[in-house]
Amino acid sequence: MKEKLSDAEKFSLVKREAIYTGLALVGLIIFWLIVGFGTASIEEKIFHLPLWAFLGSIGVWFFAIFISFILSKKLFRDVDLEGKDDGK
Amino acid sequence: MENNFYALHSLILLLPLIIFMAIMVGISIFVRHKQAGKNFVSSYFVGNRELGGFVLAMTTVATYSSVSSFVGGPGMAYQIGFGWIYMAVVQVTAIFLVLGIFGKRVALLARKFNAVTVVDIIRERFQSDFLAAVSAFVIVLFFCGTMTAQFVGGAKLFAAVTGYNYEAGLILFGLVVVIYTSIGGFRAVALTDTLCALIMMAGIVLILHYVLKAGGGYENIMMTLEQNNPEMFEPFSFGNMPWTIYFTQWLLVGICTIALPQSVVRGISYKDTRGLHDAMLIGTVVVGFMNIGINFTGILAHGILPGTAADYGGVDNIIPTAIVTAMPKELVGFAIIGPLAASISTISGLLIVASSAIVKDVYMHYKQKKSQTVESSKLKILSMATTAVIGGIVFFIALTPPSLIWLINMFAFGGLETAFFWTLLLGLFWKGANKFGAELSMIGGTIIYCATQAAGFKILNLHQITIGITCSLILFLIGSYFGKKTDEETLKKFFA
Repeated sequence: MKEKLSDAEKFSLVKREAIYTGLALVGLIIFWLIVGFGTASIEEKIFHLPLWAFLGSIGVWFFAIFISFILSKKLFRDVDLEGKDDGK
Repeated sequence: MENNFYALHSLILLLPLIIFMAIMVGISIFVRHKQAGKNFVSSYFVGNRELGGFVLAMTTVATYSSVSSFVGGPGMAYQIGFGWIYMAVVQVTAIFLVLGIFGKRVALLARKFNAVTVVDIIRERFQSDFLAAVSAFVIVLFFCGTMTAQFVGGAKLFAAVTGYNYEAGLILFGLVVVIYTSIGGFRAVALTDTLCALIMMAGIVLILHYVLKAGGGYENIMMTLEQNNPEMFEPFSFGNMPWTIYFTQWLLVGICTIALPQSVVRGISYKDTRGLHDAMLIGTVVVGFMNIGINFTGILAHGILPGTAADYGGVDNIIPTAIVTAMPKELVGFAIIGPLAASISTISGLLIVASSAIVKDVYMHYKQKKSQTVESSKLKILSMATTAVIGGIVFFIALTPPSLIWLINMFAFGGLETAFFWTLLLGLFWKGANKFGAELSMIGGTIIYCATQAAGFKILNLHQITIGITCSLILFLIGSYFGKKTDEETLKKFFA
């Protein structure tokens, strides 16, 4: 559902969403460090891959998809961009 | 007779590629026809802001993923091992970051100012024609470098895989991409990019399937690899993959890519925020699939190429050699389309932005300042001609390729990031950012970055992007502190 917001409200919304995205990046970097370098000494293997290589590639990818889902479907809000369609 | 038969046979093998290129041109002619009667500048340079989520995701990914993602990257993975994939996977951040941080901000501003380019927004924010001109110059300069690298990379790959010469490849895909971009503009670029991204994914699956088959299966390849190349199973690859590479790659192909003008301009081009949200999710799925898929293929190529990268003429030859060795000859024409799609989708995305920098940001602005109007028909011819001329110049440079072309590619990437990262990030989210800060940051940062690259100067052996991005931040803050504050009217427009 698109919301009608004032310019000030829109700016505050995009700023908040940009901060969420920045925080998501920090979360992803921490996740990347922990599941990769953090598990490098563990001997365990998944599909013939060392744990760190599996989690550090496919794990990071899935985590990024999860983050994108939370951002785009849960935290971000639909707004009316209110553009006059200059093409018509 | 036998020669004729051989030539005909070779031509038939190339048929999938020829058909693919013909479809690209067909799409662009169709788009031009459909866009007739609409505002030309808006339709040609941002596709009338009509992109939906799926196309937005695909065009952003396809422009971002270049031929080096398909050739140089997996070649390095072959040499280094899983540490390379662990490093390269940081690229999964690229799509949700740029769309999440700039997507809505840029879309709202573009509608407010009727902006068509990123430079339009920079001009409005900093009230500086000089900064806009410098931005346009930096875009054209670095884009030409990147496009040349794409042309050369694609044509070399074509020659290595098909046996035809380099020039034939350049003409076959290079001229076609210039033609379809010139005719169809941004909308055609977005649609052809979408097709390219789908073909790239299919190409990865195809190559991976045959590499696994020819190497005796996944289990067999992995067990042999573990026995013969234990270093590939260690994150630092026994010293071949130092921490400095991990660190700089986070900046170079991860975080700082949010400021690449070819990515940011996509924020101007979509229809509604629902599409933007969908694109963040779809783009992240696709970019991760491509990234992990092709780099993993590079490692698994050990199953069919048991030597070292040097045995096959260097890392850039690993994927072409793997294609030729593992795939049936009849399918090579299909397999080559994936990597070439990566090349042409990047070229088209850059070409249309470079053209807009000259036509919209320089020429039209100059005319507007002199209160002169430009006829729509003249503008149409001029825009298409400019796109064709820039593409043509890069095409001719690629005919006699400069050496160290891959370095030029990464050099240009870092240069664009240094120039635009703080100008866009601080400019669009910080009221204190002003004209002097942005000018100092863009010009000073870019010069320092280029100078350190030219001199080969590094700190702690880190890529020069770290110096460029740090200096441009310091210069931005110094300039903003000492420079004249932005006027209230502009601040009100941007920050309400």
